[in-house]
Amino acid sequence: MQSSSSSQSLSFRRVLTLALPVMLSYVAVGLACGVLSQRAGMDPVGCFVLSATYLSGGGQFMIANLWLAGTPMGSLIISVCAISTRFALYSASLAPALKRFSKRESLAIAATFTEEAYGITLDQLASGKDWSFGDALALDLVLMLTWAASVAAGAALGSLASIPTALASFAMTALFIYLLIGQMKGRVHLAIAAVSMLAVFLCKCAGAAGAAIPVAAVAGVASGLIAGEATRQ
Amino acid sequence: MSTTDFLVIWLSCFGFILACRVLPVLVLQGRSLSPRVEEALSYIPTAVFAALVANDLIGPDMFSQGVWSGLMPLLASAVTLLIARKTHSMLWCCVGGIAAYLVLSLI
Repeated sequence: MQSSSSSQSLSFRRVLTLALPVMLSYVAVGLACGVLSQRAGMDPVGCFVLSATYLSGGGQFMIANLWLAGTPMGSLIISVCAISTRFALYSASLAPALKRFSKRESLAIAATFTEEAYGITLDQLASGKDWSFGDALALDLVLMLTWAASVAAGAALGSLASIPTALASFAMTALFIYLLIGQMKGRVHLAIAAVSMLAVFLCKCAGAAGAAIPVAAVAGVASGLIAGEATRQ
Repeated sequence: MSTTDFLVIWLSCFGFILACRVLPVLVLQGRSLSPRVEEALSYIPTAVFAALVANDLIGPDMFSQGVWSGLMPLLASAVTLLIARKTHSMLWCCVGGIAAYLVLSLI
């Protein structure tokens, strides 16, 4: 029993080591998100509940921004749902890697991951590391609680916190750059990244910023299949 | 925002994103997929992370507040990219990237 508890302790320490940089980023970005949400009229409890369940900073920033801009409720919900569709792609790409877990365990992981947790879990599973259901769920819950608490704290602090939103948002950008670099395994992935980025730019030029990410993801995957085929021939 | 407004927004967005998260796992897990489908799924992370980076950095109005205000995040991202390649550390990427952004924003 002692060796079991010490191995659990080691495992949780490993999870925390992986989670720490993300947690620090979540505090910075979460506070800014909370301040903005408070300006939109959400209280700290509501911010905590939303953050702990919806689990996406991009969508939460959008909710606050669109509300403050006076966007009609229906348009606001459609826009936020549109940018949330990328989570279907995350889950689809994670599903093969989750085959070692039961259906219930897989659903628990899928229901609670943030983008960064998805990147870490996928990396751990795809590289064959010893990553258990407990590790994946612990990561999800640690990041979920950090995010929710940070947003709630930002809402509580309200106008007292003057973190420039652009600076806090760049913390997320830096994280995504790190996750992107981890995916770069050759020319095919370079082509995918280039096409995705171009697709985002073109969508924004066409006034379809809300659909940019899912459209770019599909375009990127398609270009990857074409480039992969060309590489094999 | 009233409590009713909040509840409508929360329940709609939460319900939708939860379906996005769990339905693919319900449908795809345990199924043997063709190599082509598995290949396509393996490309999703690269495509999405690139899209997320581009979404934050580029757009038709990126220079609307001046050339430097549009270039500065790109330069900070270039520094972050170099840190990522050199250190393979998420923490150093975040710290270094934010530091670069802060320094460049003071210019």
